Amino acid sequence: MKKILFIILSVALFTACERKIDEFKVGKGSANFTTYVAMGNSLMSGYADGALYQTGQKYSLPNIIAGQLALAGSGNFVQPMVNSEYGVAYPGSQPKLVLGYSSSPCQPGVISLSPVRSEGTMEPLQPVGYPVNNLAIPGAKSFHMLFPGYAQFNPYYARFASSPTNMVVQEIAPLNPTFFTMWLGDNDVLSYALTGGVGDTLTSPAFFQTAMGGVLTALTANKAQGVIANIPDVTAIPYFATIPYNGLVLTQSQADSVNMAMALYQLPFHYTAGPNPFLVNDPTSPHPMFKVRQMQAGELVLMSVPQDSLKCMGMGIINRVTFMPYPIPTQFVLTSDEVYKIKTTTAAYNQILAGLATHFEIGLVDMNSKLTDIQKGIVWDGVKLNTKFVTGGAFSLDGIHLNPRGCAVAANYFIDAINAKYGSTIPQVNITSYPGVTFP
Amino acid sequence: MRRITTLLLFFCLAATTLFGGGYQVGLHGVRNIGMGLIGTSLSYDASSLFYNPGGAAFVNDKWSFSGGVSLIMARGTFQAKNANYQATIKHELNTPFYVYAAFKPTKNLSIGIAVNTPYGNRLAWEDDNGADWKGRFLIKDISFKAITYQPTISYKFGDVFGIGAGFVYTTGTVDMNKSLPFEGTSGEGTLNVKGSTQAYGFNAGIMIHPDKGWSIGIDYRSKIEMKVKGADATFTVPQSLSTNFPANNKVDVMLPLPANLDLGVSYEFGKEKQWMIGVNLCYVFWSTYDSLVFDFETKTPVVNRTASPALYTDQMIVRVGAQYKAGKVVTLRAGGYYDPSPVKSDYLNPQTPSLTEVGLTCGVSVYPFKGFSVDAAFLYLVGAQRDGTFSPDNFAGTYRTGFYIPAIGLSYSF
Repeated sequence: MKKILFIILSVALFTACERKIDEFKVGKGSANFTTYVAMGNSLMSGYADGALYQTGQKYSLPNIIAGQLALAGSGNFVQPMVNSEYGVAYPGSQPKLVLGYSSSPCQPGVISLSPVRSEGTMEPLQPVGYPVNNLAIPGAKSFHMLFPGYAQFNPYYARFASSPTNMVVQEIAPLNPTFFTMWLGDNDVLSYALTGGVGDTLTSPAFFQTAMGGVLTALTANKAQGVIANIPDVTAIPYFATIPYNGLVLTQSQADSVNMAMALYQLPFHYTAGPNPFLVNDPTSPHPMFKVRQMQAGELVLMSVPQDSLKCMGMGIINRVTFMPYPIPTQFVLTSDEVYKIKTTTAAYNQILAGLATHFEIGLVDMNSKLTDIQKGIVWDGVKLNTKFVTGGAFSLDGIHLNPRGCAVAANYFIDAINAKYGSTIPQVNITSYPGVTFP
Repeated sequence: MRRITTLLLFFCLAATTLFGGGYQVGLHGVRNIGMGLIGTSLSYDASSLFYNPGGAAFVNDKWSFSGGVSLIMARGTFQAKNANYQATIKHELNTPFYVYAAFKPTKNLSIGIAVNTPYGNRLAWEDDNGADWKGRFLIKDISFKAITYQPTISYKFGDVFGIGAGFVYTTGTVDMNKSLPFEGTSGEGTLNVKGSTQAYGFNAGIMIHPDKGWSIGIDYRSKIEMKVKGADATFTVPQSLSTNFPANNKVDVMLPLPANLDLGVSYEFGKEKQWMIGVNLCYVFWSTYDSLVFDFETKTPVVNRTASPALYTDQMIVRVGAQYKAGKVVTLRAGGYYDPSPVKSDYLNPQTPSLTEVGLTCGVSVYPFKGFSVDAAFLYLVGAQRDGTFSPDNFAGTYRTGFYIPAIGLSYSF
């Protein structure tokens, strides 16, 4: 009896040696990841929540990628670190946004959850004093990379420029990169869009092609391999997609009063109970007394619109003090024409980038179609992400830049493109280990 | 004795057994476990009350009792798709048990009660590097236990035909934890659901002994609809989201326990019917489990009624077993079964990582004196490795589960 039990137990122990699943095998394929360099703008720099700050940089898109490339032989990836959780101080800069509570002047008791500027000490603007692998510069456009002395115009470049008279591309050769990722060119269209199409210009596709060609020539000068991303349709990001064109919600009696006022001002606009289009400035308006019109579907209100005026002063309809029509100023609006220009220019850029990727024999991430996917809603490991402001989970509180979890998703898109181009097996990152929006 | 141990070793080392289907447990008699879990056509002891009430009246003894417990050391590993990520199911001891008691007031009538645990699921995932488990937004840990109580009556007409039926009263408890992808300054949100319920069903069977040595059994165990009404749903979320996630909510959870239709055939032969071989075909009506429904009492825009698709498909379990009486003191058993997973590959979920598994079992009974036996059985279940994605949550990877299950029990009849 004892003997039998002994045998049963022995067999139990013998067979308990379970077989594990084979671990993921990292391979570099035909790529050489030894020295990795990143180029781009704020999207690659770690800029988030309206500031360049330490944690944002830690979770920057290229730093996440670098962590995975390190598994395949990549060396140290150095970033121009900001030693502050709030940002870099220079004229006009503000500390990072956090989710907090605020109220509007017309409803003093009512608090709502919204992004507010944090309070803390920003790092004074000063050179970091060491060479960096992450050459991404917030605010940079394609041709800025070839602009001698750009450090004198952009404080973020000034932080790591090896000489005040350098072009950014001159930073590349001393690093001797073997591999690069580049996501550049968004600002060539975004800067225009952020000013409502009135404070900046779109880079012409021809100039864009020349500039991008120049940057890629510099990057690949020493036969470096790499992957670039194309330009997403910026009108899909929360900064442009949060406030609806018809966000003017009226009761029946409010609509009745507005209709009477509009008749008085000889404006043929009709208002009903429920959502109505905002009024916007339009110099081409045919109406005799006021150069205004109603917004149309497809037109966009920017997140920079003064929210207090919108909520409390009657902006977008009738001024509550003067009782005159109170259109949204045009710098806070993208009209149909402007949206069309943004979309066609983006399409032209992306055609150029696809051609350049082929010409330089490098990989391409179709970030434009990826953003469309996110706009429809994606899910990773049970985490649902979309482009909705705050609740969408992918964008930071400035409505323009990705948060760490969004960067992790984008990093996986880059990793997929690297693996596809070079036959490597770089593992994807676990997006659940990257923070999203932090709620109070 | 030497011969016995050699036989045992032969049976056991050949053994790689199987444990597939979802959250159904097949461990209801140590003797049955020893012979590939067959039982539908057998009437050796009080386990007939569960395996086939129609067979209980064929048990010869006036009184029969048996009880036992299985010790499941659940093991499982997960390798994420396209990533260097692994996690493991924490080793926790699960103990499905049974107690059967049958009494024959007359030669042809048997009454009895069966208490056992035909359904259950218990696991907790752990990241291999001590970080947060990647699938925590799907499930962190779950403990679902059901105990059934089945008063049963069985009657045989002569020595050829028997029928029997039992009323099944089931109590169930569920306790599960998951994380919510909403972060506050003190970490991610969490949800705990904890509740208990009871439900009813039946178990009915027919036993036929058509010819010397042959035995045929058919048994049907009905579906049991487990509705956990008003379970405690405790949300822990950042303060600013508390209106969306009411802290002390209630939730109704609905989980069907599938019906089973079992057909068993066995044949006894040799000197004093020393040998028995048998086969069981068990059709499990898994398709009743099409979704796991959570219906919250206090509803908000983000907390309402969710139906997580399961889309199980009906499956047939095939079991074979044999018994050899090596004298008056020792009986040896061996068997095996094939239990295909009811889960489709695009709905494979870390909550119930069900894999098709194949293997063998072995067992022994030792009779120190007539009518009383100590029963032991051993089951080794090597899960076939399986790739799958739970597509609604885009959670993809490779699962591998393995179990080894020793079981021990006592039987007494007189």
